[in-house]
Amino acid sequence: MRNTGPSRRFFRLGQRQPPLDEAVDWEIEHHLAEQVDRLVEAGWDPGEARAEAERLFGHLGRHRDRILRIDRSEAAMRRRTQGLEGALAVVRTSLRAIRRQPRFALGVVVTLALGIGVNSVMFGVVDRLLLRPPEHVVDHGDLRRLFVRRSFLGTVHTQSIVTYPDLQDLRTAPEFKSVGGYTPARERTLGGGPNATRVRVALASHDFFPTLGVSAHRGRFFAPEEDRIGVQGAVVLGFDFWQSAFGGDPGILGNEIDLSGFRLPVIGIAPPKFTGAELSAVDAWMPLEAGRYLEAGSDRFMHTYGSWWLRAVARLAPGSTEEAATARATALHLHGRADRIERGMYDPEARMIAGPLILARGPEASSESDVARWLAGVSFVVLLIACANVANLFLARGARRRREVAVRLSLGVSGRRLVGESVFEAALLALAGGMAAVVLALWVGPLIHATLIPDLYWSPGLDGRLLTFTALISVGAGLLAGFGPAIQATRINLVDDLRDGGRGSTGRKSRTRGALSALQASLSVVLLVGAGLFVRSVSEAHDVNLGIDPDRVALVTLELDSPDADAETRLRVYEEAAARAGAMPAVSHVALTDVPFQWALGQALGAEGWDSIPALPGGGPYYYHVTPEYAATLGLSVIRGRDFEHSDQEGAPVAIVNATMERVLWPVDGALGKCLYLGESNQCTTIVGVMEDASRGGIEEELHMAYLLPLSRTDPPEIMGLYVRTRGDAAEALSPMAQTLRSFSPDIRWADVSTIRELIEPQVRSWQLGATLFTAFGGLALIVAGIGLYSLLAFNVAERTREIGIRSALGARRGRIVREVIAEGARFAVIGITVGFGVALMAAPAITDLLFQVEPMDPPVLLAVTVALLLASLLASITPALRATRVDPAAVMRTDA
Amino acid sequence: MSSVLGPLPGTLEFLILKTLATAGERHGFAILDWIREATDEVLIVEDGALYHALHRMVRRGWLEADWGVSEKGRRARYYRLTVAGESALLEEELRWNRYVEAVAKLATRPGGR
Repeated sequence: MRNTGPSRRFFRLGQRQPPLDEAVDWEIEHHLAEQVDRLVEAGWDPGEARAEAERLFGHLGRHRDRILRIDRSEAAMRRRTQGLEGALAVVRTSLRAIRRQPRFALGVVVTLALGIGVNSVMFGVVDRLLLRPPEHVVDHGDLRRLFVRRSFLGTVHTQSIVTYPDLQDLRTAPEFKSVGGYTPARERTLGGGPNATRVRVALASHDFFPTLGVSAHRGRFFAPEEDRIGVQGAVVLGFDFWQSAFGGDPGILGNEIDLSGFRLPVIGIAPPKFTGAELSAVDAWMPLEAGRYLEAGSDRFMHTYGSWWLRAVARLAPGSTEEAATARATALHLHGRADRIERGMYDPEARMIAGPLILARGPEASSESDVARWLAGVSFVVLLIACANVANLFLARGARRRREVAVRLSLGVSGRRLVGESVFEAALLALAGGMAAVVLALWVGPLIHATLIPDLYWSPGLDGRLLTFTALISVGAGLLAGFGPAIQATRINLVDDLRDGGRGSTGRKSRTRGALSALQASLSVVLLVGAGLFVRSVSEAHDVNLGIDPDRVALVTLELDSPDADAETRLRVYEEAAARAGAMPAVSHVALTDVPFQWALGQALGAEGWDSIPALPGGGPYYYHVTPEYAATLGLSVIRGRDFEHSDQEGAPVAIVNATMERVLWPVDGALGKCLYLGESNQCTTIVGVMEDASRGGIEEELHMAYLLPLSRTDPPEIMGLYVRTRGDAAEALSPMAQTLRSFSPDIRWADVSTIRELIEPQVRSWQLGATLFTAFGGLALIVAGIGLYSLLAFNVAERTREIGIRSALGARRGRIVREVIAEGARFAVIGITVGFGVALMAAPAITDLLFQVEPMDPPVLLAVTVALLLASLLASITPALRATRVDPAAVMRTDA
Repeated sequence: MSSVLGPLPGTLEFLILKTLATAGERHGFAILDWIREATDEVLIVEDGALYHALHRMVRRGWLEADWGVSEKGRRARYYRLTVAGESALLEEELRWNRYVEAVAKLATRPGGR
């Protein structure tokens, strides 16, 4: 080695590289400077030395360019290979990390699958209810549903039901391109005799389908001339019904089917999944005008502005606005009712509003859709808890891996690369979780639909929107859970972590993990409070006093073979049915009425001592024509006076009033012996009894007045229902009863038998939905949070092994150590309870409307949640606490450091 | 020796590899110097061409370069062999030795034209 002196590097410059062209200039400049030195040493004149150096170098400009070209191609090459190799390396390392710790990976995937899965399920529900228009509807942005806002009996309410003349008026409005009317599906009987089945039939006007923009799968929808009174009519079958009832046979087109006694030709098949402008399944469509005429038996509905029975949808004309449409519709609505308004029979301020097509977005949103909205929010909270848990797992693993990370960092692996690996691993696990979530959603989704929202048409299978949503939230969850821990894992003090084997001070990380655990506990508390409130609502709704015993009373309604049978025939058939049912051993009482459960009729009425009868918030007075055992059948007790007897049916006019009616009209001396004046007559109908109040058909009802009249056999009203009281639970006796009633008489086309419980069930459904899913989500959240807490405590115990060992060696009692760990767990429970109750208190006003007779801060619920959380924290801390007691001091002392 | 030789094609790379293998990390001017001295000033390389070769060899992965400050206090770019450069040197050495042997055999063969 010679001449090492001046050419040796004195010291290194920083890592940062200069731009390529600048670098080339520096290098050439350095060369020339050295050359000049050399030349001057050799005796050159310093002034000429520079020129000589450049000459020796060669063509300076050309050399510079060529060198630069080489460098540029090299830089480009390096970028390409580094990017690809880097990415591949990240993938390889991440996969290796997953393979190396399958249990960790499984924990992450399962936690995320649950969190993502509940979101997928709820997205499916909310998407169907609120986000998407009904299937096959074209350009739903231009479609509007028409609502009427009017004041009725002092309260303003908005309804989607309009009258037939309203529909006719709307058809003339230039603001609409087209208008269609329809009714929601109603059950009717297909065929007759023992093979009769029930199908859901909706009515729709001929212009309903073009308004939605839907065309038939086969055949066609109605022509205008088929939607007229006096023609035979026609029927379009729903796709699913066509498949199930006729095996998808196209030969059915042109054949006639028998729907509730009407023979109608099948002219078309609706496209698959088509549910009209609503979301419930429809088996068959009938023309609106013809169908209504057949149903009502008269054409009065065509002309009266007082018969509200159909819903209207309209497509805005190009260039028209919602405001213009609303103004026009309101003008038409009021114009048609000018004489009613003049006579004070109609609200002059009433408005007809062009509102949203999707019912759940409009003023008549069902409480199910409100609850679903809440549940979607709740499912997101579950996902947050799951993410917090996964973040916790990553943090814990990061802490265990400190030494490995420190080694890799010191070997020159960049921090960015380490973060990239962790994030990629998290994203990969999240995607796996997402896939598991889709499976979960496919499995649980239909279950929820079938049990909790059965009215919603549900087509099973995968759906692009659901998949996209799931993929998006999976990646989001992966990033959320993986990014923070990944960055924290690389923030390492190399010297400390290498020296003490990654067992160094972890205070800061434990604090982050502690905060995450506290967050999980708090969110779980919020969900559990929600769950408790809905469960209490369901139980309150279940126990609400209807007056009628809902589990022992059933209502039988008959569809007679001849659709326009007269009142005498109806009475005869119903009496035969009553005799049959009454003869069954399980049945104790039967009664007939013209106003069955959930119906209401009123008439002009005078009462002794009153000029006019005061109005109650629940409306009324309502009347019921009933046979003598009515009160006994429904389980209503006669408080004073007597029940009807058979002689009352044809004798002097008598009545029974309900308790509210007596209290309002004759609070002092009672109702017995007082006179009612029915209709416009002055004949006294004597009150012979007072009966306890009963529900008219809902579980949430205002007080109302009601009176019973004996059902006349010589001049009978239209009998509409037969009540049956069973000796035990009604449900068991019903199926054979329905069989008997459907087959014993050729006059009966169909007999529907339902317990009162079944009839009120739909009203309880939103609470049922809330209770079931809130409980499921809350329970899930608690389990996930509990596991998170367990892992945190176990980790902390492991971290403190040394300290615990030393303390045991110094004589600390085991009980004390156990208490410490359990207290640490309980601390999280207490934080969770405090924060969670606070959040619940803030959310309370928003949720009050969704509950049934339960306060948002219901003490039993709060108590139950507190107990649940403390128990969970105890469960989570028991194993770590026991592990702490098993620390062997001697073993601890022997390990390094 | 009366004349000065320019290097044969492919020679310059070999010389640079050999220089860096022998002398260790060097900047361009020092490499040039070293070649000149080591070959007793028989082989003279044009200054600019040396830098083409150096940068090509970096691109090929034979050399690594980074910046430093020389003992004269000047900012200079230093080159050193990579692992790939070392194995390239071995191959080049074999090739050159065979070449030189072959040429030498031919040159020393008795008998004229």
